[in-house]
Amino acid sequence: MAKSTSKTKSNSVWRFFSSVKLTIVLLIILAITSILGTIIPQMPQRESVEFARGLSPGMFKLFSFINLFDMYHSLWFRLIIGCLALNLIICSIDRFPATLKQFRFRPGADRNKPFQDLPLNQTFFVEGNVEDTANQVARFIKGRYKKIKRKHAGDRYYFLSEKGKYSRFGVYLVHLSVLIIVIGGLIGSFFGFDGYINIVEGEQIDAIKLRKQTTPLKLGFEVRCDKFTVDFYENGAPREYRSELSFFVNGKEVEKENLLVNHPIKFRGITFYQSSYGKTPGNKVRLKIVRHANEHESIGMEAEQGNSFPLPGKEGQFQVLKVDANLRGMMGPAALISIHAEQGDETRFWIFQNWETLQNRFPKQMLQSPMLNSSAFKPYTFYLEGLESKFYTGLQVNRDPGVSLVWIGSFLMIGGFFVTFFMSHRRIWVRVSNAKRGSTISIAGTSNKDPVGLERELAHLSINLNGYLNKRK
Amino acid sequence: MINTIILSYVTFGYFGAFILYLLMMVMGRATFGRLASLLSVVGLGAQSLAIILRWVESYQLGIGHAPFSNLYESLIFFSWTITLLYLIVEWRTKNRTLGVFVMPLAFLAMAYASFSPNIASRIQPLIPALKSNWLITHVITCFFAYAAFGISFGLSLMYFLKLVDNEKRNNTFLKLIPRKGILDDLNYQMVAIGFLMLTLGIITGSVWAYSAWGRYWGWDPKETWSLITWFIYAAVLHSRMVRGWTGKKIAIMSIIGFFCVLITYFGVNYLAGLHSYATT
Repeated sequence: MAKSTSKTKSNSVWRFFSSVKLTIVLLIILAITSILGTIIPQMPQRESVEFARGLSPGMFKLFSFINLFDMYHSLWFRLIIGCLALNLIICSIDRFPATLKQFRFRPGADRNKPFQDLPLNQTFFVEGNVEDTANQVARFIKGRYKKIKRKHAGDRYYFLSEKGKYSRFGVYLVHLSVLIIVIGGLIGSFFGFDGYINIVEGEQIDAIKLRKQTTPLKLGFEVRCDKFTVDFYENGAPREYRSELSFFVNGKEVEKENLLVNHPIKFRGITFYQSSYGKTPGNKVRLKIVRHANEHESIGMEAEQGNSFPLPGKEGQFQVLKVDANLRGMMGPAALISIHAEQGDETRFWIFQNWETLQNRFPKQMLQSPMLNSSAFKPYTFYLEGLESKFYTGLQVNRDPGVSLVWIGSFLMIGGFFVTFFMSHRRIWVRVSNAKRGSTISIAGTSNKDPVGLERELAHLSINLNGYLNKRK
Repeated sequence: MINTIILSYVTFGYFGAFILYLLMMVMGRATFGRLASLLSVVGLGAQSLAIILRWVESYQLGIGHAPFSNLYESLIFFSWTITLLYLIVEWRTKNRTLGVFVMPLAFLAMAYASFSPNIASRIQPLIPALKSNWLITHVITCFFAYAAFGISFGLSLMYFLKLVDNEKRNNTFLKLIPRKGILDDLNYQMVAIGFLMLTLGIITGSVWAYSAWGRYWGWDPKETWSLITWFIYAAVLHSRMVRGWTGKKIAIMSIIGFFCVLITYFGVNYLAGLHSYATT
């Protein structure tokens, strides 16, 4: 980048932000502070709460005061990034005029200064008339460089070619790309959302939960999960998760698609990602009903929650009132049975799939409650054989209107790097001057960076031009 | 699993190459250097073959994927990129002294992959999150960045050794190290290539994260460390390109930068996060 030209803008804030020292300091501060968030677990991870519990009250207060549990979204961290952005803008504005001047500068072709102190291999002798030689040189250079300026002064012929002029702007392109990415990120955080929803197979939803708010967000359309499947490899690792989704607008199905990990679905500006899955009890249970404690009089059946079924001996009706995959979080799969006798009251009791283990784990007195007596309605005993379980699919649901800017910025940044790192603005002079019985040819050049590359190019040009001219004689 | 057998020979090959480069430096005999280069080239060839065989083998197992999916495969690939990049630099600069400082990295990565009891060399199937076209580009760009930064680290060490070199000492090893200006210039080139590759790696990673998890940036520890590394090298480039710093300061910053690379690469073993499939 060009040297600072802040003579006119001597205001001290401007001077502070136009310093590259500040850039280096800010980059290092950002690097060091960013480390904190990789050591302290950040919200909303579960480890974050555990970590906070382990702190002394004073430390906890300090940590939460400076937002260390969500530091990357804290004001102070954003301020540092803001300073860097301001620094980058002001540095670029400050230096741009000087760059433009160098970009526009057109040196004369007949300059002799670049030819002072040339290395020996960049000057050589060619026999023959100066004018002829100059024409040959012109022909040779035209094949290699696009724009060539020619000048004839006295008995000297000059050629100037220039390339990579635009590479002077590479660094501004990189800075612009950083700003575009930051703006894209800001747009995403202000106008986008980040939510999730679990949909049980066969069910449909019209709203999602947001991570940063408690009120759910209405989508304006419905999504149904028709089916969820998970495939496994032979070693037990998951191979593929697949949700078959249908989208409804005003009750009408408009789209049907399969959602896979790494293959999100976009519907009406909102993107759905396959992110997790789980099992939830369905509304069917498998029961075994034994009469008179006699295995021969037992029947097995499937019962749907809410429906009434007659008892095998017609003494009354029963139904499954509730199904719980893990009652009270520790008693395992359970179902609440309600029996209405032909005459008489209702009998209610819970039955458990893991009754045997429960008997070993809990004291006898506790299990003698009538609510837990599976033989409460004589002469029957109910056994829970299993719950039908259903999959639910866990979806990440997002909208990020800033993301295309982020990709544009990324693209520009890579382009900018190529220009800044691998291209330079070079000017190459070739001088043909009259000498005894021939002409002397000198080659010189200047470059805004990469002096080694320039040296290589000049040496290469000398060898080739020498070979070209001396071969023809 | 013929590929793992070849790879364990390659480990010894790279160790041998390092010893030969060292002998060249200590004894000042160019023959050792030529042998070292030969051994490195043969090792790289064998390693490339093993990687291709592993790739083919995964298809024969019915779980075909590029061999970049776990820590074992990533270490092999890291060693491959660093050897390849080093040999290119050696060929372009016609100087073999860098080998003493870079080949140990290639050897250590291989040795860690082959001999650590915690690292499984089996070909494992891909979990759904890794099934993406971005896997190959993301891994290749990141690892070329790591390799370029590794070479920059080696050059910085050489720079410090060259600082203590003087006429009185008359030490062959130190005398063979190229002069400081060349080291500094080459270091800058490596940092520039590494920075470009790291940026590409971060970008391809965010495109991938966006399609897999629904966000392009999530401050996951590995993501954050890659950004920290990026900040450090951005500071290196600014101090050199604009402030005109060279030599010692740049060498120190490059060494710090490479430590950040190591944390980015291996730190996930100790920090929780979404890249945890790269730990076994």
